[in-house]
Amino acid sequence: MSVELNELQESARKVIGGAGLAANESATWSQLVELGWLLVSVPEALSGLSMGLPGACILHSELGRGLSAAPYLAATLAVDAVCQSGFSDREHWLDRMIAGELVTASLAESGVQTSGKHLCGDVQGVQSADSARHMLVWTAGNELVALIALNQPGIDIVVKNTWDQTRRLFSVRLNDIDLGEQVILAEGASAESLIRRLLVQRDFALAADAVGGAASILAMTVDHLQTRIQFKRPLAMFQSLKHRCADMKASIDAAEALLFDAARKVRHEPDSPDARIKAMGTKSFATTMFARVAEACLQLHGGIGMAVEHPCHLFLKRALLNEHLGSATNVCTQETARVLMAGTR
Amino acid sequence: MNTGDNCDQLRQEVRTWLLENVPAGWRDAMTNVGQDAFVALQRMWFEKLVRAGYATPHWPEGWHGGGRSLSDQKVIFEELARADAPRLILYFVALYHAACTLFECGTAQQREKYLEGILNGQVWCQGFSEPNAGSDLAALRTRAERHGDRYIINGQKIWSTMAQYADYCLLLARTDSSGPPQAGLTYLLLDMRSKGVSVRPISQITGDDEFAEIFFDDVEIPVENRVGAEGDGWAVAQATLASERGLTLVELTQRMRYALPRLVRSMREQGCEDDAVIRRDLGSLVVNIDAACALADQYLTKRIAGAEQVGDASVVKLFYAKTLREFASLGMRIGGLESQYHSGFMRGATQETGHWMLDFMNSYNWSIAGGSNEIQRNIIAERMLGMPREPKSWQVVEGRP
Repeated sequence: MSVELNELQESARKVIGGAGLAANESATWSQLVELGWLLVSVPEALSGLSMGLPGACILHSELGRGLSAAPYLAATLAVDAVCQSGFSDREHWLDRMIAGELVTASLAESGVQTSGKHLCGDVQGVQSADSARHMLVWTAGNELVALIALNQPGIDIVVKNTWDQTRRLFSVRLNDIDLGEQVILAEGASAESLIRRLLVQRDFALAADAVGGAASILAMTVDHLQTRIQFKRPLAMFQSLKHRCADMKASIDAAEALLFDAARKVRHEPDSPDARIKAMGTKSFATTMFARVAEACLQLHGGIGMAVEHPCHLFLKRALLNEHLGSATNVCTQETARVLMAGTR
Repeated sequence: MNTGDNCDQLRQEVRTWLLENVPAGWRDAMTNVGQDAFVALQRMWFEKLVRAGYATPHWPEGWHGGGRSLSDQKVIFEELARADAPRLILYFVALYHAACTLFECGTAQQREKYLEGILNGQVWCQGFSEPNAGSDLAALRTRAERHGDRYIINGQKIWSTMAQYADYCLLLARTDSSGPPQAGLTYLLLDMRSKGVSVRPISQITGDDEFAEIFFDDVEIPVENRVGAEGDGWAVAQATLASERGLTLVELTQRMRYALPRLVRSMREQGCEDDAVIRRDLGSLVVNIDAACALADQYLTKRIAGAEQVGDASVVKLFYAKTLREFASLGMRIGGLESQYHSGFMRGATQETGHWMLDFMNSYNWSIAGGSNEIQRNIIAERMLGMPREPKSWQVVEGRP
C-alpha cells in the first residue's frame, strides 16, 4: 500500500474509532464532509484527491469497521456519476455535493424503466432518502442515468424497517416522472459504461465495508475470549476456539488482499467488463466471508451475543444485509465461471 | 418405530383431537402482538391440553394424564408437530423441569403442594445460569446461607426463560464453597413473589425478551423448600435437565420437516423456483432434515429400550442446531433483500416461521442455550469418542505477549 493510502487509512481509523461504534449518522456525515472524504475518488482536474478505487476502499473499510451510519456509499456514487458526465451545470452540482448536500442512490438492483419520456418503477435500498433532496437513478436496461428531485410529484418514499440498525434504507417509487424536468447524466452507450462503473464502485465499496466489519468483530471476539473465564481459564485457552479465530483471520486477510489487489488492477478502467467481473468476485467473496465471520463471532460470544446491549448483533445484521446489497452473490459467482469458460478453448 | 396397536390407536385419537382443537389461525394471531396476547393464547392452549390429558403424559400413573409410556409420549409430540400446534413455551419448565424434579427428588409434601398448582397454570422458571457460570455451570456463586429454618439468598441468575411471568423458580445455589464446585450446591424452590426478588427482562437481538435476569437481595426460602439434601443440588439438577428425555428434539426436528412448504412457497413468491443453486440447497436441506428426524427418532427408540448411551442426546442437539441454522440461511437466500426487512414477529412458534431473519436470530437459541454446540462437542469427543479431557489445572499466564 502506498504511503498516501496508509496515511489515509490511519487518519480514517482515528476519526471513526474516536466516534465509537455505530455513531450518530448526521454527526458522522458532517465530519466526513468536513474531512473532504467525498473528494477521495474525484479527479484532480475537478479538485479531487484522485485516489481512485483503492482510496475509496480504504474509507469504506474503515466505515465498515465502525459500523458507520452515514450514507457515504450512496453519496460517492452520485459524486462519481456527476464527475463522469459532461452536463453543463456539473461543477455547480459538485460544489453543492462536496459541501454536504446529500444526493443519494440505491444499493440494490434497479427496477427503473423508461416509458416514452417518463421514468417508472421501484428503487430499493436507497440510503437515507429522507435526508436527500435528489437521488441518482439508472435504468434496469442500462440506457439512462439521471438525477431526480425527491420532492416532486410522482415520488413515493417509504422507509424500510431493516434488521440492520446501522443504516437506514428506503424504497422510492417513481410514478411517471417526466424526464424533461430531470438532470440527465448519460444516455445510450455512455450510460451503459457509466452504470457499469457505478456498479463496480458499489460492489467494491460493499466488499470493503465487509472487510472492515469482519476485522472489527473478530478483534472484539478475541478480546471476549481473552477475558471471559470459564472452567478456571480464559476461553481463549481452548484450542478449538483459537483455531476458529485463526480461520477467520485467514479468510479476512484473503478478502482484504483480494480487495486491494483487484482495486489496484482496475483503477484505471473501472468501467470495463473486466472491472465488473473483478468487482463481482470480490464483492461476493468478501460479503460472504463477513456473514460467516459475524455468524461465528456471535456464537463465540455465547449468551451475551444474543443480548441487544452487546454490539455483536449489529455486525451480524449489517453483514447479512451486505450480502443482499449490490450484485447478487449467485449472479457474481456464475458470471465469474461464465467468463472463465468463455475464455477457455 | 413403535407400530404397536396401542400407539396407532392413540395416534388416531390425538390426531382427531388436534384437528378439532388447534386454534385456527394461531400463527397470524401470534404475529406482531404483545406479550399479553401471547400469554393468553399459551394459557388457553395449556388448559385445553391439560383437560385432554396431553400436557402431562410423562407424569407417573395416578397423576392427571400420567402413566403413559415413552412411546405414547413420542406419538403425542409427533402429532403436535404434524398438526402445527402452538408450542407450550410458557409452561414447559413447569410441566417438565419442575414436575419431573419433584417426582424424582421431591418429598410427598412438595409434590402435594406444587403439582396441583402446575396443572392450574402456575408458571415456573429455571434459575441455574449466572453471568460467570454459563457453560461452566458448577462455577455458580449465588449464595444460600442457612439461618435456622430458612436459607438467605444473595446473588444473580441470568438467561431464565420467561422468568418475568414465573410464579416459582427452580434455584440452584451455593451452600458451601470449601470443596469441589459441584459438591457445595443446593437445590431450592423459590416463590418469585418473595421479598428481595427482582426480575429484569433481557432485550434480545430478535426484539423479543423471553429471557430475564433474576436478582436476589436477602431473599428468604424456608428449609422445607429444599429438594434433596443440602449439597446434593448438582445431582438434583441433573434430574431437571434430563426431564424432557429427547421428546423436544423429536418434536422440533419433525416441525422442521413440516415447515419445508414455507420454503417452497417463498421460492414461488420470489420467482426463484427454477434457480438451480437454490434447488440444490433445498434438496440437500431436505436430506439433512430427514437425517435429523431419523437421529431424534433413533435416540428416543434407544431411550424406550433403555439403551441410551452418554453423548447420544448431544449428537441430536448438535445436528438439530446446525440444520436449523441452515434452514433459516436458505430462507434468507430465497427471500433476498426482502428477508432483511422486518416482516413480522411471531411468538410461540418454533424457529421456522417464514420470517427468515427472525428465524436465523432465533436459531442461536439452539446453538448457544441449553448447552452450547461447543459443550455438546466436548461431550461427544470426550465421553463418546473417549478422547482425553483438557487438563484440569492450567497455568494461566498473566499478560499477553
